[in-house]
Amino acid sequence: MFKTTADLLIKSHPLRVVQGRFFAAAVAEPKSEDRLQSFRTFEADPSKHNTNHQSQFYKVDSTDKKVLFQYGGLPKSFQIQAKTFNETCLMVRDPSIQIINHLKTIDYTQPPIKFVLYGKKGCGKTLTLAHIMHYAYKNDFLIVHVPWVGNWMRRCKDTSNSETKPGFIDLNIDAAAWLVHFKTQNANILENPELKTTIDIQWNKRECTPIGSSLLELIDQGINRIRFASNCVNYLAEEVKKLSQSGLCRTLLAIDGFNAFFYPNTRVFTEKKEMVPPSRVTLTEGFLNLTKFDWKNSVIVVTVDEIAIAEKDQISHYPRYLLGKSGFEHLDPFLPVEVKDYSEKEHQSIMDYYRERKWIHSYPGQNDELYFLSGGNPFRLMNLCNAL
Amino acid sequence: MIRKINLLLEPLKYLKIQQNFEARLISTTVNLFNESTAERPATSVANIKSKNTLNKAMKSYLERAQQHDEFMKTEKHQFEIGKRHLANMMGENPETFTQDDIDNAIEYLFPSGLYDKRARPLMKPPEEVFPQRKAAEFDETGRPYHFLFYTGRPNLYQVLHDTVEKINELNNFEDTMIRKNLQPDPNLALELSGSQWLDKNTLEQKLVEPVSDGEYSNFLKAMDRLCSLPYSHKAKDFIMEYRKPLMSNSEAFDVIKPQIGPDGRQFVTTYECRRKRAIGNVTIRFPGTGKISINGQDINYFKGIQQREQLLFPLIFTNMQRKVDIEAEVQDGGESGQAGAIRYGIAWGLRSFIDQEYIENMRLAGLLTPDFRIRERKKPGQKGARKKFTWKKR
Repeated sequence: MFKTTADLLIKSHPLRVVQGRFFAAAVAEPKSEDRLQSFRTFEADPSKHNTNHQSQFYKVDSTDKKVLFQYGGLPKSFQIQAKTFNETCLMVRDPSIQIINHLKTIDYTQPPIKFVLYGKKGCGKTLTLAHIMHYAYKNDFLIVHVPWVGNWMRRCKDTSNSETKPGFIDLNIDAAAWLVHFKTQNANILENPELKTTIDIQWNKRECTPIGSSLLELIDQGINRIRFASNCVNYLAEEVKKLSQSGLCRTLLAIDGFNAFFYPNTRVFTEKKEMVPPSRVTLTEGFLNLTKFDWKNSVIVVTVDEIAIAEKDQISHYPRYLLGKSGFEHLDPFLPVEVKDYSEKEHQSIMDYYRERKWIHSYPGQNDELYFLSGGNPFRLMNLCNAL
Repeated sequence: MIRKINLLLEPLKYLKIQQNFEARLISTTVNLFNESTAERPATSVANIKSKNTLNKAMKSYLERAQQHDEFMKTEKHQFEIGKRHLANMMGENPETFTQDDIDNAIEYLFPSGLYDKRARPLMKPPEEVFPQRKAAEFDETGRPYHFLFYTGRPNLYQVLHDTVEKINELNNFEDTMIRKNLQPDPNLALELSGSQWLDKNTLEQKLVEPVSDGEYSNFLKAMDRLCSLPYSHKAKDFIMEYRKPLMSNSEAFDVIKPQIGPDGRQFVTTYECRRKRAIGNVTIRFPGTGKISINGQDINYFKGIQQREQLLFPLIFTNMQRKVDIEAEVQDGGESGQAGAIRYGIAWGLRSFIDQEYIENMRLAGLLTPDFRIRERKKPGQKGARKKFTWKKR
């Protein structure tokens, strides 16, 4: 009946085309909203996500994104896509919901619980971590986030011999960059005047950071005097530990590609072109210090990833292999959380999302075909869809 | 032909006396036969002379025809003798010795590795070895038997004539049906998809006449016109005489019967699926959910997208993607070879679970044709298998 009225109107009206368009839109709208319901959720706060939102997309607020991921934290290909889509949407997936639920319920007076995200290449470990970080940001955690350890161990910007510890290597530019990253991520919390250093830090004869100066000053020192950046990171780690211990802040330690700290071959070289194992990189010390059990009021989420190690050794994606014996013993006991390939429902959801963004043309049987071709692997699916 | 039989007889000369005796027997019969036939032409020529109405051309034609007949007779006789002889050599009964037995015996006695099968030794009835000739086309008075004799291609024009006759017949029939207000039954419509028109050479052999390109296209046009008529199915027998099937049915349609597995599901295993150097066995289970396992791994066994698409193609083509489970074991070869081998195995095994129509489509899509090509070796003294080095004067 609606259609016939529309036809009548169109026929009688002098501005036929305009009317036609208007009605077409009016008819089409409810349908698209129905579809929208299935793959999108308007619950933008990660702390309210639960199993009902599973495999739905939520939009990360652009200001949040700017604070959290300005200096890394999202995979590059994902970022390019987010720019194309003009929004950053994350899928609410099972491992992130699980961990967020744990974060809500655990007892923070106990030593930190360690979650280890593992999974095959390109199945969404980093984005799961991003989702958890978003939760932490919304709940005023102090976030100590390393976007990608591989950048230090395999693609470091510069190397220099450590002045304070003989035999150790500093990665000062990388360390300073990380300090900037840390400062942006925690800009709100660092304004808190109660966050103060607990020891005197003597950088050299003239420069020192006295006891009781704010954490921001310590960070700025590292950023401005790049020579001290590596040491500054280690001091900062120690300070963060103490502050959490005293209950002034609640900390989330998120490290992506954690196993790079334990992979013996790096691309960090001394002046004599000798390879430096990660244990002799100054930065390692600080973050291994943070992953110990001797503090509280914190939680640790790390990912282990095949890509963080050399290609010839990418045999298995399980934590025991990737961490090696020493790494495993260092982390043990931890909670392994597997990030799996897409389930059918998740696949359906992302295909709908791509269609809504007009990223792909649909044709009958497309979902099945792409699910088979990608084998459920999200990264692979993304690459496949780039061409469609 | 004679050479072929002589080849056979040659080794016998050096055999035992008993066999020599046999050979002598046979040679005498041949002589006898020759003597008896030597008389005949004389008598027939005498007959022709007595009429005395024949012109020279006709006379020479008749003589040639007779010569040919005689030649064929001799050849036939020699073939029969050779056949009996061969049967004796092979220790079989000469009376029941068939052409298949002859072929086997020749293959056994003269093993040949020549690539082209036509180059290998053979022993066939003379009708097959020597090209057929037309029988006499006119009687003794010189009147041609065939009313289209003077067209020069009586058989071809006979076919065209018949075609037009059929067309007229069908048109009349259509008129009557229209008068009765009846429509042609679509179920009976002529199905020509699985066959094609005889090619020019085959047609020439069938008609025993040379056919020019123009004449062949006329033939095609006439036939197509006949086929396009609404009641063309009534002339099906006539049309099908001049069409050949695209592929012999028995080869493609031997569907493997599914077995029942311990879990109560049907399964079909295709063994020795090959492509390039790869070889594998593929098991298809029905009903399934679209699971796939290759050497114990899932689809990630293949890294490339092309290989995955290869596997998917027969499944999508037959719409069975979510209905079967596939297990494959494949070894040797490279990625694309292995994928190709599994694809063939899937397509071959799927026939057991789908309609005849889909099978035919799969065949037309080339999914059921094994690909036997393998890499050709590089030759010394040249750059590749065929490619030569750049030529330099010095």
